[in-house]
Amino acid sequence: MPAFDANQLYRRQAARLIGAALGVAIGATPLAAQPAKTVLVIGLDISDSVTFDPARMSQYSAPLTLHAAYDTLVTTDPGDYVTIKPLLAESYARTPDGKGWRFKLKQGIKFASGNPVTVEDVKFSFDRLLNIKDQPSQYVQDIDRVEIVDPQNVDVILKDANAPILTILCAPAASIYDSKIVKAHGGTDAKDAKETDKATQWLDQNSAGSGPYQLTGWERNQTLTLAKNANSWRGKPNFERVIIRHIGDSAAQLLAVRRGDIDAAYNLTPEQIISLKDNPDITIAKGTSLDFIYMTLNNDPAMNEALGKKEARQAVAYAIDYDGIRDSLVGGAALRNVNFIPIGVGGSTEALTKEIGYRQDLDKAKALLQKAGLPNGFTFPLSYGTASIVGVSYQLMAQKIQADLARVGIKAELQPMDQVTMRTQFIGGKTVSALTYWNPPAVETFLWAAASVERVAKRVHWEVPPDVTANVHAAAKEQDVTKQNALYRKYMETLQDQANYIMLFQPIYQVATRKSISDFTLTGAGWLAELAPVKPAK
Amino acid sequence: VLRYLITRILAAAIMALLATLVIFLIASQVPGDPILARLGDLAASNPDTVAYYRAQWGLDLPLWEQYWIFLQKLAHGDLGISIATQRPVLDDIAQYAPATLELATIAFVLAILVGVPLGIFAAVARDSWVDHLARFLSLIGVSSPTFWLAFIMLAIFYGGLQIAPGPGRIDAIMLPPENVTGLYVVDSILAGDWETLRNILAHLILPAIVLAAATLGLITRTTRASMLETLGQDYVRVARAKGLKERAVIIGHALPNALIPVVTLGGLAYAQLLTGAVMTETIFSWPGLGRYTFRSAVALDFPAIMGITLIVAVVYLIINLLIDVSYAILDPRVLRR
Repeated sequence: MPAFDANQLYRRQAARLIGAALGVAIGATPLAAQPAKTVLVIGLDISDSVTFDPARMSQYSAPLTLHAAYDTLVTTDPGDYVTIKPLLAESYARTPDGKGWRFKLKQGIKFASGNPVTVEDVKFSFDRLLNIKDQPSQYVQDIDRVEIVDPQNVDVILKDANAPILTILCAPAASIYDSKIVKAHGGTDAKDAKETDKATQWLDQNSAGSGPYQLTGWERNQTLTLAKNANSWRGKPNFERVIIRHIGDSAAQLLAVRRGDIDAAYNLTPEQIISLKDNPDITIAKGTSLDFIYMTLNNDPAMNEALGKKEARQAVAYAIDYDGIRDSLVGGAALRNVNFIPIGVGGSTEALTKEIGYRQDLDKAKALLQKAGLPNGFTFPLSYGTASIVGVSYQLMAQKIQADLARVGIKAELQPMDQVTMRTQFIGGKTVSALTYWNPPAVETFLWAAASVERVAKRVHWEVPPDVTANVHAAAKEQDVTKQNALYRKYMETLQDQANYIMLFQPIYQVATRKSISDFTLTGAGWLAELAPVKPAK
Repeated sequence: VLRYLITRILAAAIMALLATLVIFLIASQVPGDPILARLGDLAASNPDTVAYYRAQWGLDLPLWEQYWIFLQKLAHGDLGISIATQRPVLDDIAQYAPATLELATIAFVLAILVGVPLGIFAAVARDSWVDHLARFLSLIGVSSPTFWLAFIMLAIFYGGLQIAPGPGRIDAIMLPPENVTGLYVVDSILAGDWETLRNILAHLILPAIVLAAATLGLITRTTRASMLETLGQDYVRVARAKGLKERAVIIGHALPNALIPVVTLGGLAYAQLLTGAVMTETIFSWPGLGRYTFRSAVALDFPAIMGITLIVAVVYLIINLLIDVSYAILDPRVLRR
């Protein structure tokens, strides 16, 4: 799950320490003569990967591979997470009884094995996902059953007809696989699949999808190898092989992309990205993520008397220098969403943040402190993990916030702890204030909104009024986008007034790519990038 | 002799178990919950899921019972399932150990081959340029932090001069040799694949030098100091007085005696190389045990932590045993005592 390592902090400091030395030592990088490019090599920290079985996968780096190997019924294009586009489906519509969705499959599509993609495969894939009951099954819990209508149509029947499902079916968990192959390797979609399915071991080393590249091997903490799918329905893939190379250390990734040993470097820090700005061989691919880093403030006066007051929490929110965090810590590569719903979905936009988002306003913060009866400020503990995210350590963020708050007399006591302890305390509702991040399993606005009024609310001891929760559920089921956005806006305004969550930034991913390749398109939808269109540069 | 060995091995086994008990007690006091770290946000908030996972790893049982289960499984040669990787710990260790073994062994050989002769020369030619060089090298080796040395080596030889390959055990576009032992060098020789072997050896050079640096420094210093001490002993003077050639005095009389502390140190240094390569492995993206140990500790992955502790303890105990045996060979008086 975590997209980072505790020791990144040290590595980063070390990297900065010798940054100058690096610059001198590297100098000009001579260009090696490149033969016709047939292999795409990506540098990525894959040490979090536990499995490549779509029904079990819940990590951060694995979806890149899964999305290259498997297709889903529907998908979203990078940058537009609202329009649902058919992929394996030719079209989709409501079922006649309105209780679910009917997907009409494209005809003549084959899996990499040569077997045709059939409605039976769709049913098998979804039934297996549901019955294996591993983590991904929780996202599709609204599915009641999958019914085959005829050889071209399949119905996904929902428990609640209006529950959002299309966005969730875009996620790699809802991949469609070749049921004949998976069954041949011990896979089953039976009710007791949780105990009887034995296909995971095979799926960790191979794939059975219809995507452009198929998994052919996984050396843990070392490499993932994908080979082109000769039966690809999108036409001939652009590379013979794709290799995802584990390079855990960002400075080593920087060297490797500079030298051309890898074509794309995923885990560079903002400073390292800046150092590549003038490199003639490298382009920085950018993509706004749907993740965000945020700070929580507890509602419970018993844990911190001052923070129990709404005005005191708001004072914190208006004292933080958000632009400074974005520019100095993240190198400008970030947006900021209003509250919990990231920019790009649910009607959340940059303009909306300007309108109703927090901004630094020290006078207002002081006035709020007055109103809270705390003119001299107050003290609270700020917890965070000794880790970094998008190359920025929580430690640096915490120090910046501490300095900002000091300007209005609020004293944040920094409490660093290891990541597991941090998570345990935070989920257990034991942190007064915490710095943490959010990355979604699927691009469904409801998943963010529901989390903020249900489980995350519990962690900050906010007893959510029933009408607020009802509003979120109404928004999720609203079929008209304009009305839906209005409901979500109302919800965001409530969160802003409550001030239990303070959004710090929504990162823009930056990947250094060699000019030897083109069309490297990042996505915020959860699978990092679209590998199908990547091709050798002319 | 046999009885001596058996008592040593029994004592070693008890020590290994005690080590796991200590680690178990320490790890269980950390206030984090490994299950929450392992699960996604949604699952971690579902008490049923958390309870299911906790039960699966026996984390809901009293401490002594958890340890008792560990011992029972151990008796069957089972180290349990890792929480983070969801694979048997033994499989994980078997997968990552060869990479570390290969790296540590080459680093160790390097340290010995360079360190021992350098130490001898430095002692024999005291205060000459060789001596100064040896002292300078060992100072650098012992005092430069591994992560710094690793970065500098990478930046100069990989990034700057471009004469060394980058991180990892093998070039990304090359296929590793067919897995027989997991040691790439051995496997590629078995397969007769010389091009792969060359690539693998090239990838080994930088991390091996980095890993060897500290050990090299220690070995050079110890050899030098021990040699100097021996050279001042009466029996060396006697040997010289007999009119033996200087070479015979040094190799035949002084060296065997001077090597005893080096053997102790060398053994322990090897154990340390095997178990303490975290930084080198991290920076060179080396898929070895050091990295696995680090991740397991960070994730509070109990079964993995226990498994590694056991392995580390066993490695140290075996090496200590070997040291004792080699004493007996170097100095026959040990057994007679």
